Amino acid sequence: MTIKYESQKIAQNFYTFAVLLFLVQVTVGIIAALQFMWPDFFILNFNIIRSLHINAMVVWLLVGMMGATYYVVPEESETEIWSLPLAKFQFWATVGTVLAVVLGYVYMGINPQANTLVFGTRLLNEGREYIEAPRWADILIVVSVLLFLLNNFMTMLKTKKWTGIQGTLLGGLTVLALMYLPGMFYTKSMVKDQFWWWWVVHLWVEGAWEVIAGALLAFMLMKVTGVKREVVEKWMYVEVGLVMFTGILGTGHHYYWIGTPSYWLWVGGIFSSLEPIPLLIMVWDAFRTTRETRVVTNKAGLYYTVAHAIFNFVGAGLWGVIHTLPQVNKWTHGTQITTAHGHLAFYGAYVLLVLAMIYITLPAIRGVKAFNASRAFQSFWWMTISMIFIVLTITGAGMVQTYMERLMGLDYVAVKTNYNLWFWILRAIFGVGFLYGVLIFVVDYFKLGKEPASAVAPAPEKA
Amino acid sequence: MSNKAARNLFIFGSLFFFVIFVMLTIDTMGKLDKRAPAITEEVNAGKMVWHKYDCIGCHTILGNGSYFAPDMTKITEKKPKDYLKQFLMDPKSVNPKASMPKLGISSKEADDLIAFLDWTSRVDTNGWPPKPILATAAGVAVKELTAGQRVYQSQNCANCHMISGIGGTTGPDLTHVGSKRDRTWLFGHFKDPKTYVPNSAMPSYGHIGEKELNDLTDYMVSLK
Repeated sequence: MTIKYESQKIAQNFYTFAVLLFLVQVTVGIIAALQFMWPDFFILNFNIIRSLHINAMVVWLLVGMMGATYYVVPEESETEIWSLPLAKFQFWATVGTVLAVVLGYVYMGINPQANTLVFGTRLLNEGREYIEAPRWADILIVVSVLLFLLNNFMTMLKTKKWTGIQGTLLGGLTVLALMYLPGMFYTKSMVKDQFWWWWVVHLWVEGAWEVIAGALLAFMLMKVTGVKREVVEKWMYVEVGLVMFTGILGTGHHYYWIGTPSYWLWVGGIFSSLEPIPLLIMVWDAFRTTRETRVVTNKAGLYYTVAHAIFNFVGAGLWGVIHTLPQVNKWTHGTQITTAHGHLAFYGAYVLLVLAMIYITLPAIRGVKAFNASRAFQSFWWMTISMIFIVLTITGAGMVQTYMERLMGLDYVAVKTNYNLWFWILRAIFGVGFLYGVLIFVVDYFKLGKEPASAVAPAPEKA
Repeated sequence: MSNKAARNLFIFGSLFFFVIFVMLTIDTMGKLDKRAPAITEEVNAGKMVWHKYDCIGCHTILGNGSYFAPDMTKITEKKPKDYLKQFLMDPKSVNPKASMPKLGISSKEADDLIAFLDWTSRVDTNGWPPKPILATAAGVAVKELTAGQRVYQSQNCANCHMISGIGGTTGPDLTHVGSKRDRTWLFGHFKDPKTYVPNSAMPSYGHIGEKELNDLTDYMVSLK
């Protein structure tokens, strides 16, 4: 696979920024893990470290998806990007905004009083989980996403080849942009605050993002295995359709205990229990497509693609469904069980997705036909095995917490500091294993296609 | 099914479910205010303080947030307000083992925050968090307890103190308190904690009656 349009190379800028933020995310993640044992371990308190850990993740996945989109849309539309300078501007504007927000968090960590009220909103940190970025940054992010959408839409408009993949991709990205808005106003009621906040959080990760994932999965399967477009696109529609049919009302599983009417117990319980079904179809789709093809042009890429489908189902699907029924959730809500689900879901659904896109498109961008995939496999196993054990330790901690604190009535702090200590220790150790996998990936990312030919494996017979 | 049919199913099906979701949202918005107490200026100011210090970066509230520190939804039911205020302003002065840092919360901010937390404790959360099954079952055996143990239970001392591994960690562990303090000290301390421990955040229990205090002291002295 080689690139057909010069402007597709802009994807690399986004990938590089994403990869660096990935490294930041995992490094601060280890600091956070250590703070579970020693809260005063670092100059910044846990809240700041956690904000950095999660915000870095959200941003790098988003930036990675933007890069992927800039690659996919010209290819699907068979034309150059509408405006390359606009894409570059949008990239640097995003980098600038993200860095400003990070500096703000760090400064607030050193001096909490600096988070003053300016024009009715907080200057450095909104103090709302996941969407901590202050309002001025929200507005800049929205502008950036709108410019990005405009650029891609105009590119599609140039040739009007409305393929299903790019249509679905753009649809998912538009919903993503719209669903950021319900998080941008203040409410006096904490109940309403959390109600609208879930519109952003849930309809992103279990709605818009899964639609984007479905479109990118279809694109990758098509590119790597050469399967027919009609077939992947049909299954893509079925998958993303079911994601939306179950996921939209599945939001109800966040409305059990926050002060909302009790009919949400029914709505959320029923629809969120169905949410794993489309994810299972994606797994089946990935396996079926792979089995039916004879020529695989990019083994590492396919590996990551199939792994994404599997761990999307296990992490987001299975680890979610175990605690989604109200009868269970009543006891597990707000415990480490949620953390375990969050880690495996994001790793499977989105981390592996963006890494798969990088492995499939980067060789083409760098102009190489084949690359030595040994580091890609090494980093995959280091990351995946470490993540499985991280998730198992946190799941164990969550079960102990649910039993001792929620069922027996022991004190939160006693359970955390005494009974769960070993889980925190093991989690931190596996965190270091994960970091090692990430480091291998980062090295691979920067070296891919730039090494002397001797290090490169022989090219497959036919590309 | 043709690709076009699959696409239309995806688009119009999604719209259909989104419309239902919006309708449920409108219905919910009309009902929320009846499920919670009125929001005063003080409660709103407290919510602003909650956001200012990014409390959710460590705690959960209504079960959502970080899982690094205890849930705050019903905290004002569990801990005396004077204790909360002193703890918020300088956590380690109250409990040297506390993980929470001193954030510079002012007296006014602490009052507002407690008003806000008092508000959340009275939101109708469909019964969350549930009462622990085993602790509730243990309460059935009240008759077998001594008089002092009954006072200990009725005053919810275990919310803050621990005896033999059961109870809270915010106040000192009482497992061996009988070998550390004598009867006079304990009795006087219940009536006015601050004269015995200057930094104490424990409220006075002088109001519960001489007999009850005597029973409670008996119980404490027996913990060796």
